[in-house]
Amino acid sequence: MTDAAVEYSHVSYAYPVSGVDATRAKEALRDVSLRVGVGERLGVLGPNGGGKSTLLKLTLGLLSVQQGTVRVFGMGPSDAARAGLIGYVPQRATCELAFPISCRQVVRMGATLRAKWWEGTSAAHREAAERALSLVGALDWAEAPIGRVSGGQFQRVMIARALAGGPRLLLLDEPTIGIDVAGQRQFADLLGRLHAQLGLTVIVVSHDIRTVAAGCDHVACLSRTLHSHSTPEGLTPRVLAEVFRHDVAAVFGDVHVDAHAASTCRDPSHAHGPARSRPRDGEAGEGGAL
Amino acid sequence: MTSTTLHYLSDPVLRALYLPGVVAGLALASLCAMLSVLVVLKRLAFVGQGVSHAAFGGVGLVVALGIGAGASAAGTLGQFGVIFLFCLGAAVLVGVLAERGKTEADTAIGIVLVGSMALGAVLLRKAPRGVSWESFLFGDILSLSWADAALAWGIALGVGMLLVVVRRPLLFWAFDPVVARAAGVRCGVMNFLLMSMLALATVTAMKLAGVVLATALLVLPGAVALKLSARWERVLLASACVAGAGVLGGLVLSFEANWPPGASMVCVLAGFFGVAAIWAMIRRA
Repeated sequence: MTDAAVEYSHVSYAYPVSGVDATRAKEALRDVSLRVGVGERLGVLGPNGGGKSTLLKLTLGLLSVQQGTVRVFGMGPSDAARAGLIGYVPQRATCELAFPISCRQVVRMGATLRAKWWEGTSAAHREAAERALSLVGALDWAEAPIGRVSGGQFQRVMIARALAGGPRLLLLDEPTIGIDVAGQRQFADLLGRLHAQLGLTVIVVSHDIRTVAAGCDHVACLSRTLHSHSTPEGLTPRVLAEVFRHDVAAVFGDVHVDAHAASTCRDPSHAHGPARSRPRDGEAGEGGAL
Repeated sequence: MTSTTLHYLSDPVLRALYLPGVVAGLALASLCAMLSVLVVLKRLAFVGQGVSHAAFGGVGLVVALGIGAGASAAGTLGQFGVIFLFCLGAAVLVGVLAERGKTEADTAIGIVLVGSMALGAVLLRKAPRGVSWESFLFGDILSLSWADAALAWGIALGVGMLLVVVRRPLLFWAFDPVVARAAGVRCGVMNFLLMSMLALATVTAMKLAGVVLATALLVLPGAVALKLSARWERVLLASACVAGAGVLGGLVLSFEANWPPGASMVCVLAGFFGVAAIWAMIRRA
């Protein structure tokens, strides 16, 4: 068994609820135990509100653990973040895109963050930034203003910024949101290449089954509790139906899950998901019955 | 430059009266140039408005307590210290109210702004007769002494040095607060430092531009610069040029038209913004 990069032990977390009933708390995670080995690529899959982002924030030290423990390379999450061991790639929404800075300057931010204040941007910092840009294939648009690049290009720049600091663990939050299917495939290839070249431990949080299945060694299915932790081949219709049952019920109402029928379906149009059924009147056409 | 300005420049008696204001104005321009870009990008214009108007409460306190009634350097420092602490307190209060999530940020700013103005109005009613406080509202170049000018340059240099020291975490936090926090940047400290620098700039701008117009100096140079370029270095350079030209141009306009200096500076800067906006539109077309 490889050493642990990240270890979650009986982690529970609940958000305090403000307003009239302030004594209640909204449970996000319950008794989650999970181990991510050094060099492993873990995909965390689950529905909206299933606790994926909470797990990510606990790993980054943005939230304090209420019950249980989280260790990142044997340290507390905040210590690991300050030591530069964690590279974090957020969703697009967290940046101020009006900033008049180029993609290259954004990546240099990651390379120089831990430099002493009296140091200028050294040749080593520049080299680290250029290497990161090259790794993600972003050299061609490195001089473009960060607010004027496409979703896929922006995502690569964010990954380059995270890599420029020389992390050992890369955390990606919904990395394929707003990216088309071809872009998602390219992203999975990129993740594979980065893993092969740098030997990074990677955790990808997503509700996109394609992203997780294509680019990860292991998948953890999370819907407040940990439903399964296995290889992508273990993502059976039964497991997915269990994890996403609230999402499905929200669109179609309570449905009977015929896992056997779904798992034996050979229709190519169902390759990444369940059979599509006609939505009820007045409801969105996306999604499918499991 | 016309005969009125030349008359001011050549007359030694008049020069002694306005020169401290001009020197302080240049310090103010460099302060505003440094902070204005961040104020615009972080959408802090209304926070700046709240902080500058909160200074009126500090002015009321200064006048009511008779701090710095004489024109001594110690008096200037005392006035400055009290008003600065008042502004900083207001900025921190806005931050605390908004951060706890109980009050929306704009509501918190509105409450602190009117609360400070009301306190200032009450305290000024208790001021001894003959004490002038209108200059704090709209600025008066003749109210500035060499002590004010020295203080303004001390603050500009101090803020400049602080910006050099914290440039990396400050820029990271300003650009991407969530990732900055995840990377171990102390975002609360960065926010406090920026608020402190805004309060310092406001108090420095107060005597020249007045509390009502001080915010414009913190917003317009950056807003103009961001219309002119999408490159960080060029934006900073443009902001410095615009702030300097706005302050000096405003003072010349003030001499020529006998307008209050604060209003003149804001008019010149607003004119620059209009030209920059039109230029940006033409460039995009």
